[in-house]
Amino acid sequence: MIFNNLKIAWRSLRRNKVYTGINIIGLAIGIAAVLLIFRMLSFELSFNKDFENYDRIARVVRQDVNASGNRGYTTCLPQPAGDAIESSITGIEKLARVKELWPTLTVPSENSNIPSKKFNVADAETAFFAETPFLNIFDFEWIVGDQAHALDAPGNIVLTKTWAVKCFEDWNQALGKQLLLDNQIPLTVTGVMEDLPENVDFVFPFLASYETLKANPEDYFYSEGWHSCSSNDQMYILLEDAGDWDLMQEAIAGIGAEEYVGRNGTRDHVHSLQPLSDLHFSEQWQNSGTHRISKKRLSILGAIGILILVMACFNFINLATAQSTLRSKEVGVRKTLGSSKMQLTHQFLTETGLIVAAALILGMVISTFCLPLLQHISEVPNELPFLSDYRIIAFLLITGVSVTLLAGLYPALSMSRFRPVEALKSNYSNSQLSGSRLRKSLVVFQFVIAQGLIIAALINIRQLDYIQKIDLGFSDDLVYTFGVQVDSATLHRQSSLKNKLLQIPNIEAVSLSSDQPLSGNTWATNFRYASRPEDEQYAMTMKFCDENYSETYGIEPIAGRWLTASDTMREAVVNMTVVERLGLDSPEDILNQTVRVSGNDLKVVGVTEDFHTHSVRQAYKPLLMTTFKSYYWQAGVKMRPGDLKGTLSAIQQVFDEVLPEQVMDGQFLDESIAEHYGDEERLSATTKGFGFLAILVSCLGLFGLATHAATQRLKEIGVRKVLGATIYHIVGLLSKDFLKLIFIALLVATPIAWYLMRNWLDNFVYRTDMPYGAFIIAGLLAMLVAFLTVSYQSIKAATTSPIKSLRDE
Amino acid sequence: MISLKNIERFYNQGLQKAWVLRDISIDIEEGSFVTIMGPSGSGKTTLLNIIGMLDQPNNGEYYFFDEPVHKFRERKRTELHKHYIGFIFQAYHLIDDLTVYENIETPLLYKNVPRSQRRAIVADILDRFNIVAKKDLFPHQLSGGQQQLVGVARAVVGKPKLLLADEPTGNLHSTQGKIIMDTLAELHKEGITIIQVTHDENNIKYGDRVIELWDGFIKNDLKTAEALSASQ
Repeated sequence: MIFNNLKIAWRSLRRNKVYTGINIIGLAIGIAAVLLIFRMLSFELSFNKDFENYDRIARVVRQDVNASGNRGYTTCLPQPAGDAIESSITGIEKLARVKELWPTLTVPSENSNIPSKKFNVADAETAFFAETPFLNIFDFEWIVGDQAHALDAPGNIVLTKTWAVKCFEDWNQALGKQLLLDNQIPLTVTGVMEDLPENVDFVFPFLASYETLKANPEDYFYSEGWHSCSSNDQMYILLEDAGDWDLMQEAIAGIGAEEYVGRNGTRDHVHSLQPLSDLHFSEQWQNSGTHRISKKRLSILGAIGILILVMACFNFINLATAQSTLRSKEVGVRKTLGSSKMQLTHQFLTETGLIVAAALILGMVISTFCLPLLQHISEVPNELPFLSDYRIIAFLLITGVSVTLLAGLYPALSMSRFRPVEALKSNYSNSQLSGSRLRKSLVVFQFVIAQGLIIAALINIRQLDYIQKIDLGFSDDLVYTFGVQVDSATLHRQSSLKNKLLQIPNIEAVSLSSDQPLSGNTWATNFRYASRPEDEQYAMTMKFCDENYSETYGIEPIAGRWLTASDTMREAVVNMTVVERLGLDSPEDILNQTVRVSGNDLKVVGVTEDFHTHSVRQAYKPLLMTTFKSYYWQAGVKMRPGDLKGTLSAIQQVFDEVLPEQVMDGQFLDESIAEHYGDEERLSATTKGFGFLAILVSCLGLFGLATHAATQRLKEIGVRKVLGATIYHIVGLLSKDFLKLIFIALLVATPIAWYLMRNWLDNFVYRTDMPYGAFIIAGLLAMLVAFLTVSYQSIKAATTSPIKSLRDE
Repeated sequence: MISLKNIERFYNQGLQKAWVLRDISIDIEEGSFVTIMGPSGSGKTTLLNIIGMLDQPNNGEYYFFDEPVHKFRERKRTELHKHYIGFIFQAYHLIDDLTVYENIETPLLYKNVPRSQRRAIVADILDRFNIVAKKDLFPHQLSGGQQQLVGVARAVVGKPKLLLADEPTGNLHSTQGKIIMDTLAELHKEGITIIQVTHDENNIKYGDRVIELWDGFIKNDLKTAEALSASQ
């Protein structure tokens, strides 16, 4: 029976090529979309899961509550808090302090100060100072060395295989070799481990022992105070029992009960445990991996995938029920030959199954080709192991079966219910199928989704455009930035670097600073104004910059003047937010006042307009800029237009000459700023991509329905033409019905999209007004595409000679 | 074999009932060959469909081999229908996508006859109807007469007790029609019960009884000989 059903299905599908083609392509698109999304979701959801102790590992994190009740989230754990956890809390099997760093690693050469090899740890990677138990909490794959003591002593370093090969050609040769951290701290390789898989939130090139950090407190900001801490200072713990979470949370929350009490008597900071399973999805806490993604974003993606697949199934239902009138005779005959409903249902489901199988194969092909596109919306590595990943196979099977049932069951059941006596009549119309109303609802549903996604995409684009064009308050044009290491050996070379750069003809200005105007970095400290008795209730954000910062980045003081050259903190320039927060009437009022930051008294010499120091998702922060040579980790070079290539290579030359032991990693400022909007870019690409897919799938279905409508109304069209209707009348007649549906869909989609996008826009402090035009454009676009889709069939029908269509059999 | 008692069939047309069959009571013996006649719209086809269990009466009782068909659910009717009844249509109604062989095989599939047995039965029928050479052709490759021959073969392949033929020669010219009627006569001789609906006076003589319908009522119910003499 199955063999027979397959044979019949095959023949019937071959006979209706257009119908079969539309169905297969439509479903394949839906399946491809779902496959890609599944690939993404399964990748993101697999993060960290392969660690053996997945459910017992946690990171200690901190919530900060400031006086105005705002919450801050940081991963920072002060040293004494870590000590308290270690000494006072039971139930912890192992714990390991780590500190993130992005240093330069060099292979010293035997007879020169210039290293034989030098490598920067890139922004996307994160190296660690780590205590030895870190190697046991996580079951990293160890290759060589004494794992139990590899990170015990100062100067120990464990390399990943790739970096061992990078430094010493052969990882076998690495053990016991010497390296230099930031060109000054000697390290000895005590172990080599396998590279980390892609689906973990660690991308460290190497681990240096925590003792190395303790031995060099000045260079890496190691401090033992309760109130001194950076988000780079973290601690991982391994619980003895995965069931102890609640108790453990309670105990951790008790840490610092006295020490964290603020001036007004309330507690400022509370520690808690962040389970390893949350590291990749947290909206609050950074991780040490390449990216985070919220569970909310993942569910939205999943929902979009399922919606597109459902839309493709609706196409199938629409076409199948529309086609069913053509097959009524067959149903009638089969029933008189003794077929039961069940047998007919099986037969039609077999047909659906065959289409779905073809669509699955085509969908796999499409998704393979589209895989590179996924890079625009996610971080999934660029390969899709279709047949080697059992989850993909299982997913394909489940998708196949559920699509077959979802798409095929209704048409199959309704067709098998045809009553033979009526089905055999030649003028049988689908009175038994209230299908026409169903089809209309399904088309409306599809276009609600398609138009909703288009509206979302348009608003996304608009907002992205808005934030990219927002006046950042400084100039990011033709400014090239790169990092420079600062230590006792290089400090005195700063001025020579600046001077040599300025000799390059096309360079207008050079500035050294802690960071560029918009870096996303937050260096915050407490702050006291003039003779006020107490610190202000908010933290002051700081930047350290030289006297040329103003001209390099185009930041002009609106009152007073810019900083003068100085090696240490003397003068300060603040932004308007500070003036406002202090409650001063005009920027002039703050000039020549003394402010106290981190124990230093500075004289305010200038005030600037506010400029964006963080992504424009955030509001302006109070900002203070001052000089301090030791913190000038970044150089900014303002160029004149013309011969960029020559200028860049001249800069490289100067760098290599002045800082031969360092690696230059440069970037244009506008590019690095664009990276801050990667999330928005990805979201925008997602809605654009899936909006396009949705409209494509909907139009495929529409095309099928138009084909059907044109065939079914051929006689009517013939009669109308004989009565004098023109082509325009006919095209209008056939298109009107469909356009009406799309208009209804727009009416439904508009409020939903408006509500959702309103919520989304509310995430931004700086946001575009709701672009009402987007709704109109989405509607017009959908109508236009739908009209074009329908018109091919309409015009074909309208130009058919009535003699042909009115001829009886 | 068949016993109809006060069968009535109507359709609701707006607020009115459109009567198709009224007060039909007939008994048909096993092994007889009955002809149903009457003008267009007199209810012949509807009566045939009711006997064939494709349609249900609004009122009345229908016993098939003493089983109360009017009380059965659809599943049971389908069972009876597929084991006892074969159908022949005026428009042949072969399935376009299936070859001659497969068309004939279809009723056996629905009766779950095993594959090897199916092959033997179909081969036998093809042989008997002299259409072995045509077995791999599709319906549109055959003449009307050949298609109807396949239709007859398909109707009897399941060895039904009752063969229902709705104007079997209506679309055929006389020579082809005669072949079909001769085939039916032969089947009748072998013991199968046949009920045919026809317009064609020539086809009456093949049967042994003529029932004439008029506006849904039975007008005459005569032996063939009587009917022939009455009409002359």
